[in-house]
Amino acid sequence: MKWTPILTAPAAIVLIAPASANVYMSEQQAMQAIFPGASFSAGSRAGVFRASSGGIVVIDRVLGKHEYIKYAVGITAGGTVKGIEILEYNESYGYEVREASWRSQFVGKSASSQLQLNVDIKNISGATLSAKHITDGVRRLVGQFQSLKGQ
Amino acid sequence: MRRARPLLGTIVEIEVDGVAQAAGEQAIAGAFEAVSLVQRLMSFHDANSDIGRINREAFRMPVTIHPWTARVLRHAQTFHAASNGLFDCAVGFELMRHDLLPSDDLDHVAAGDFNAVRLSADRSVRLTAPVAIDLGGIAKGYAVDRAIASLRAAGIRTATVNAGGDLRVMGEIDQPIHVHVPNGGLVPAGHLRNGAIATSSAVATVDRIGACRPPSSGTDGRAYSVVAPSCIAADALTKILVQTGEPQHPCFARFGATAFITGGNLPSMAA
Repeated sequence: MKWTPILTAPAAIVLIAPASANVYMSEQQAMQAIFPGASFSAGSRAGVFRASSGGIVVIDRVLGKHEYIKYAVGITAGGTVKGIEILEYNESYGYEVREASWRSQFVGKSASSQLQLNVDIKNISGATLSAKHITDGVRRLVGQFQSLKGQ
Repeated sequence: MRRARPLLGTIVEIEVDGVAQAAGEQAIAGAFEAVSLVQRLMSFHDANSDIGRINREAFRMPVTIHPWTARVLRHAQTFHAASNGLFDCAVGFELMRHDLLPSDDLDHVAAGDFNAVRLSADRSVRLTAPVAIDLGGIAKGYAVDRAIASLRAAGIRTATVNAGGDLRVMGEIDQPIHVHVPNGGLVPAGHLRNGAIATSSAVATVDRIGACRPPSSGTDGRAYSVVAPSCIAADALTKILVQTGEPQHPCFARFGATAFITGGNLPSMAA
């Protein structure tokens, strides 16, 4: 292990508020990942795809307080969850930074202080993100399976 | 190539580099399967998981568990002893009392500590007091370690696994690491190679020093981070940092770890 900390004096804090957008896979890739080898036909309802091997894939979106998640859930012909893949995940840490009053507390603290916006940043260690919105979304779609598979 | 799935109550992200598409997909799928197994074995919510069975039965009779669960319980024992009881996974009672965990079939559970957990060499567990174990403070870090081990076994040399902020990097590249400060922004914390970092807030940690901190008291606006060779150590040690507030606590050096606090009135206190 090698750890090289950034040794910042308290006044030289650098806050970065990205509107980070993570695109993981396409709808097609997700369908293949969930039902490998199957072919897919689009249902009449947008975002519903029927797999040749039986079962469906539904592309859905959930909107949380600070995040937007696009995901795919595969449901078997028997109505159970086959797999879940996240296609896109956007999280905004920027909402406080847009508040001028919040931002002003950092103004003038140090010449090296800076606010960077719209930077794509990986490797974020922090308070746990909740997957609750996805879990709720999947539960809702499984509940609608009988009507979805006919579409 | 980056992939993400909802697991362990959070979003687990796995990235691999320097590998062909098909091999990468296969390696990532195997790593997600390892994380998924940790979830099935160690979920507090699932009455049939190893932890679900321990909490319901081990006070009355021995419960035999999977080698991975046994490994995590042994680590939990080590951290409990090394921190004089500050790290304690027998906090099920407190978490249920604050409605942070469901209490179905667990009416018999009382307050207690991890000394009640007896693990024998044959992987059977007994509880000498009616406590409930929650591995929420350590299993996510272990899942990240298993995912990295799975990727390595699949021939991957450069990878990152991030389970909602418990992250580990593998490979001969210094990776930039940012810490997410509660109610704040992102702070660049440093560069990490072949190591792990975990960050906790004060909200989710049961305090063994004073009274149990009610969740309604909210965050103190600080991020408590620990860098360690393994993610299980980083994850567990953040719980000690939240309670002591001391990045210089001897516990960290003992596990080859470095602790620091970000945010609040302490923008960056490097140890």
